[in-house]
Amino acid sequence: MESNIESLMHGFGIAITVQHILLMTIGVLLGILVGVLPGLGAPNGVSLLLPLTFGMQPVSAIILLSSMYWGALFGGSVTSILFNIPGEPSSVATTFDGYPMARDGRPSTALATAFGSAAFGALVGVVLITLVASWVAQFALRFGPPEYFAVYFLAFASFVGMGGTPPIKTLVALAIGFAIAAIGIDTVSGSVRLNFGIPELVKGVDFVVAVMGLFGIGELLLAVEEELHAKAVSSKIDWREVFRTVVGLPRYGWTLVRSAAIGCWMGITPGGPTAASFMSYGIAKRFAKKGVRFGTGVPEGIVAPEAADHSAGTSALLPMLSLGIPGSATAAVMMGGLMIWGLNPGPMLFIDQRDFVWGLIASMYVSNIVAVVLVLLTVPMFAALMRIPFFIIAPLIFIICTVGAYSVSNSYLDVVLMFGFGVVGYLFKKASYPLAPLVLAIVIGDKAEDAFRQAMLMSKGSLGIFFSSPLVTCLVLGGFAFLLVPQLMKLVRPHRRRAGLEPTEI
Amino acid sequence: MRSITKLLMLSGAALAVVAAQPAANAAWKPEKPIEFIATAGPGGGTDIIARTVQGIITKYKFVDRPIVVVNKGGGSGAEGYTYGKSMAGDPYKVIFGTSNAWQQPMVSKVAFNYTDLTPIAAMAQDEFLIWVKQDSPWKTAGDYLKAAKSGNLKMGGAQSKDTDEVLTRMIEKIADVKITYIPFKSGGEAAVQLAGGHIDSHVNNPSESVGQWRGGTQHPICVFSSKRLTNTDKVTATEGWSDIPTCVEQGLNIPTYQQPRTVWLPGKVTPEQAAFYVDLMKKVEDTPEWAEYIKRTSQTNTFLTGDEFQKFIKDDIEHVHQIAQEQGWLVK
Amino acid sequence: MISQRAIEVTTAVLTGMFGLAVVVSSTDNGIGWGEKGVDAGTFPLIVGATIMFGSVYNLARGTLVAHEVAVTWPALRRVAGLFVPAAIFIALIPTLGMYVASFGYVLATVGWQRKLTQWKTFAIAVATPLFLYVVFEKLFVVSLPHGALFEMMGL
Repeated sequence: MESNIESLMHGFGIAITVQHILLMTIGVLLGILVGVLPGLGAPNGVSLLLPLTFGMQPVSAIILLSSMYWGALFGGSVTSILFNIPGEPSSVATTFDGYPMARDGRPSTALATAFGSAAFGALVGVVLITLVASWVAQFALRFGPPEYFAVYFLAFASFVGMGGTPPIKTLVALAIGFAIAAIGIDTVSGSVRLNFGIPELVKGVDFVVAVMGLFGIGELLLAVEEELHAKAVSSKIDWREVFRTVVGLPRYGWTLVRSAAIGCWMGITPGGPTAASFMSYGIAKRFAKKGVRFGTGVPEGIVAPEAADHSAGTSALLPMLSLGIPGSATAAVMMGGLMIWGLNPGPMLFIDQRDFVWGLIASMYVSNIVAVVLVLLTVPMFAALMRIPFFIIAPLIFIICTVGAYSVSNSYLDVVLMFGFGVVGYLFKKASYPLAPLVLAIVIGDKAEDAFRQAMLMSKGSLGIFFSSPLVTCLVLGGFAFLLVPQLMKLVRPHRRRAGLEPTEI
Repeated sequence: MRSITKLLMLSGAALAVVAAQPAANAAWKPEKPIEFIATAGPGGGTDIIARTVQGIITKYKFVDRPIVVVNKGGGSGAEGYTYGKSMAGDPYKVIFGTSNAWQQPMVSKVAFNYTDLTPIAAMAQDEFLIWVKQDSPWKTAGDYLKAAKSGNLKMGGAQSKDTDEVLTRMIEKIADVKITYIPFKSGGEAAVQLAGGHIDSHVNNPSESVGQWRGGTQHPICVFSSKRLTNTDKVTATEGWSDIPTCVEQGLNIPTYQQPRTVWLPGKVTPEQAAFYVDLMKKVEDTPEWAEYIKRTSQTNTFLTGDEFQKFIKDDIEHVHQIAQEQGWLVK
Repeated sequence: MISQRAIEVTTAVLTGMFGLAVVVSSTDNGIGWGEKGVDAGTFPLIVGATIMFGSVYNLARGTLVAHEVAVTWPALRRVAGLFVPAAIFIALIPTLGMYVASFGYVLATVGWQRKLTQWKTFAIAVATPLFLYVVFEKLFVVSLPHGALFEMMGL
């Protein structure tokens, strides 16, 4: 461990140069831009910058790309909070409390809370990489198909099965999400599923398209119908509010630490940032003190998903470097970059390319600080967007969603689908079907199914494989505990639960 | 009289041809940005070759228009090919793929076939090897096949009914064994699963597992090639690609099995446009960067175009069709 | 005016139809335990059936809901005011292209409100496609649809 710190200091020597700080700033700013614009997203941004890096030193190149990634992670929360449009899959959970808070006239507080906790999450992720990289890499190897399935099961269990929505409606929403996830080519059999006679659906339904429709367009329709206009935001640029919020974050210390831990766990294991943010939100809600009403704009509801998202996003880079498996789509693009720069990701990278690896890790510290400073500076500017009158911002939001849906894979079908999802989102809200389980099912539904079927192939059809090792048994039992304990609690203490009935948005 | 009519008709036809192709001699040149469609997700082998070619063209300024790489890897690449089909007549879309272009339509209900595209070239041949865990007791293909007799060996691979599984089924047939094939999303994922001991082997390409080999988690036991690989660089302290015996040497009689890296244009482009890209890819192959890429990924350099490429496709289809038929994979 | 009952029933019918489509479609892929482990259609079949049964239950419960008003006429008019132009905008993209369509869409919807001066409305309508062009077409090299009409003219 001491040698790691020594290596880190060596890395700082490489990362902190005027040229690199400049690259970080450019990368972060571009990243914020792609993060803010829904549909573009970090993977697109990074793959567009990739050709520019061919002539660079690998370490400079990765600093530029990873800075863009940090910027995009931060930027993704902006539209989630201001307009209920998640710019990135991993910022869906941020909408649950971020958007209500912003609509309540506190967009600066919401944004600053999100950025502050995100920065904390990222920092925890980097520290983890610095201190226990090799141990973590070994641990990640223990995950085979049954363990993968168990992790997804755990993520579902911790999030679903709570809240006050009618259970059958939750079940239908969840099942629709699973069905949407199954559209396209099935990995295990190689055959085309559920394309309903539309050949283009072979590519599957992109998550971003579904989410922009369900959340963004659905909310727009709801807002215009119910005349839910945001409360007036004060016109003066208020840096003090930003500062106060960030300084006040330690009040949510326990939520921060727990969320960052969940994020690291999901980033290292195959869960990824999106599942991490959902799971963290779900758990925060369960552990919430009485009287904290999640879904109405409480700070904990922003802290939990954001800290988890960023610690997962950061620690997802670790499996990429040490094992050569990307933990996220953006990590996959960067891994392609590594190979083009002539590096082979894998267990030897830490030894062969010491300067590169530790330069990158050191740059994570620096560029996250650069990113959080830049992004906090932009808060008042973004908050000012809330002052644009609804009749102007509504068509603009609609156009941004349309362009975003199109740019996911240059497909007009996606635009039409997004519009359809918008109508569904509106109907579901009116009829109080929960959207969150649907979204979670789209994100990890097919992965969970693949893992289950791979495990079944391995065990030749025996379910015993889910109890074949202590690790997988613990994960499965943990999942069941999450599902069953709240129900048992309800039986034991029926009146207490009724008194604190949860809001139905989630 | 009749001959005069004939003459008139002929010259009329000739005129029509000339009129239709005013630029028959002037070579076609791109006037807009070019889009490279990688039929794989970011980071996959197909993505890397597309980006390598992009890098080389940009570096040497072979084309003065910008080139963008777009990933359309949905549906095991079907997304990219289907997109290529829908872009018929557009010479600014270059599709990078594999033998998937003709194999996938055989085994899944996808909405394209390779005949919907204009073949440009097969630029490289990727090799296949049998990999086992570093500490596994099997040192040769013979040991491996003996163990496979039990019927309990698990082989991982990328995708289903694709090259990796076809090869697995070929091994089964030739060695008369039964192997459980477990499909993963990519070869990289299979390599990690092998490192963790969740599967017993996989048939990855060299570039998919070289990092793991160097890191001492797994090693190759034989290569599906008629002769040993030529790259003599050492990967580990003692071994390199050229030290790996061929599978035939070890009694597994599959002399060659390779994955072509293919390049296509959409259908209905003019011969001049196709010729431009054939020429462009040739130029790319002559650069030191390309040689470096081939060496690093331990592929075999080839350049099949025109009739050669068509013949290659025909032969491969015949071969795969037979296996697909035996396995009952063919789409009805 | 639309009642809560109408919304419940419509939603349940829609989800039920989707469930049915999933069930029908899943039978193409094989159900149960096959040569390759769990067959590809199994999971969609279970999911589709769940959606169908859930929808039937929700439909039954939806018809029991009191006939209260969920969306009033003025509210519905407001929704239509957003929805109809948006649908027209999307329908026009293939012909007019993203730029011209978004120009027209902004001009029409913002102009309709008559809350801004004409030249301000016009300025917003021009700035929108311009922004899209600079950010998407130039900065991130994402080619947005230019429209069949203009492609014919060679643009």
